[in-house]
Amino acid sequence: MTLSPCIREKEVKELLARGGWPQTCSPELLAHLSGCRACGDLALVTETFKNARADAASAAKLGSAGALWWRAQLRRRNAAVERVGRPILGAQIFALSVSLFIAVGFLALQAKDGLNLLSWFKHRPEALALHLEVLWPSALFSSGWSLALLIPVFATLALLSGVVVYLALEKQ
Amino acid sequence: MLWESVLPNVLAGDAPRAAEPPMDSDAFAGFYERSAQSLWAYLARVSGDAALADDLMQESYVRYLCASRPAANLAEGEVAGRRYLFRIATNLLRDYWRKPRAASIEEIPEEFLATSNSSAQADSRAMLGSALALMRPRDRQLLWLAHAEGYSHKEIAEVTGLATASIRLLLFRARRKIARLLREQNPKEGGEL
Repeated sequence: MTLSPCIREKEVKELLARGGWPQTCSPELLAHLSGCRACGDLALVTETFKNARADAASAAKLGSAGALWWRAQLRRRNAAVERVGRPILGAQIFALSVSLFIAVGFLALQAKDGLNLLSWFKHRPEALALHLEVLWPSALFSSGWSLALLIPVFATLALLSGVVVYLALEKQ
Repeated sequence: MLWESVLPNVLAGDAPRAAEPPMDSDAFAGFYERSAQSLWAYLARVSGDAALADDLMQESYVRYLCASRPAANLAEGEVAGRRYLFRIATNLLRDYWRKPRAASIEEIPEEFLATSNSSAQADSRAMLGSALALMRPRDRQLLWLAHAEGYSHKEIAEVTGLATASIRLLLFRARRKIARLLREQNPKEGGEL
């Protein structure tokens, strides 16, 4: 399909935009419209759409502008709060990741001591049956650094539980 | 780093301040009154669904107010503001059509066709409604913006996001098609014009 503009299209467009069609149209232009497909299409489509617009606009049931304004206000506020809360959430996730990393590292370090403790239980079953004090895992404290490691474990657990509680509360 | 920049602002109440609308409610009420009918007509006619038009119109205004541009648009003039509003509405329509459940987009709801004031209006509405239903959504948008709203090719390009150069050809084809459909539905119409 090729574009076939008519030199009178602009004139038709201006008359249609001015309103009062077809009364404002000269008989000569009307005669041109019946012979020119481009101008005829333009006039027919524009008139039909303008009528439809007026008709549809009168059928519109408009809501309250105030309600929309407040709804927008609320949405803007929520968006602003969310923007501010984003870095905090990022920090929480970071803290959680670091805590988990520390916990996993600690467990890995303690695995060796745990295995030693198990072997200690295997070799002293008689002591288990007779003396309660042997239940105390002395092997755990055999090395000086074990106690120093327990404190970070509890601190990590406390931190983790704090983070979890905070996240849960914030979610609510 | 971020904490120093973010937390004091929160405590000082900068977040609510950031939510201040760029337009006061009175200015918006005036703008709404002047533009809502034409926007609703556009949405209802192009989508063919009055209920959808209601929803999309509300969403368009809320997004318009939430955007940072309304103040700039008002400075440019209300015409630019309306154009921006139509652009939001056009994007919302496009999003709606892109959804998989947009099965009934070609249908004209019966209650929309039934709310008539006069027989001439009903004829016009039914005639255009059925012709529009045979057009592609994009063509409906182009035709409405060009012939009902009287937008120029450049303005239509701004609203729809299409290139100005292609608007002319697309509009020409769409106009030719809908004129043929209108003439087929009402043969005497072509002779009168």
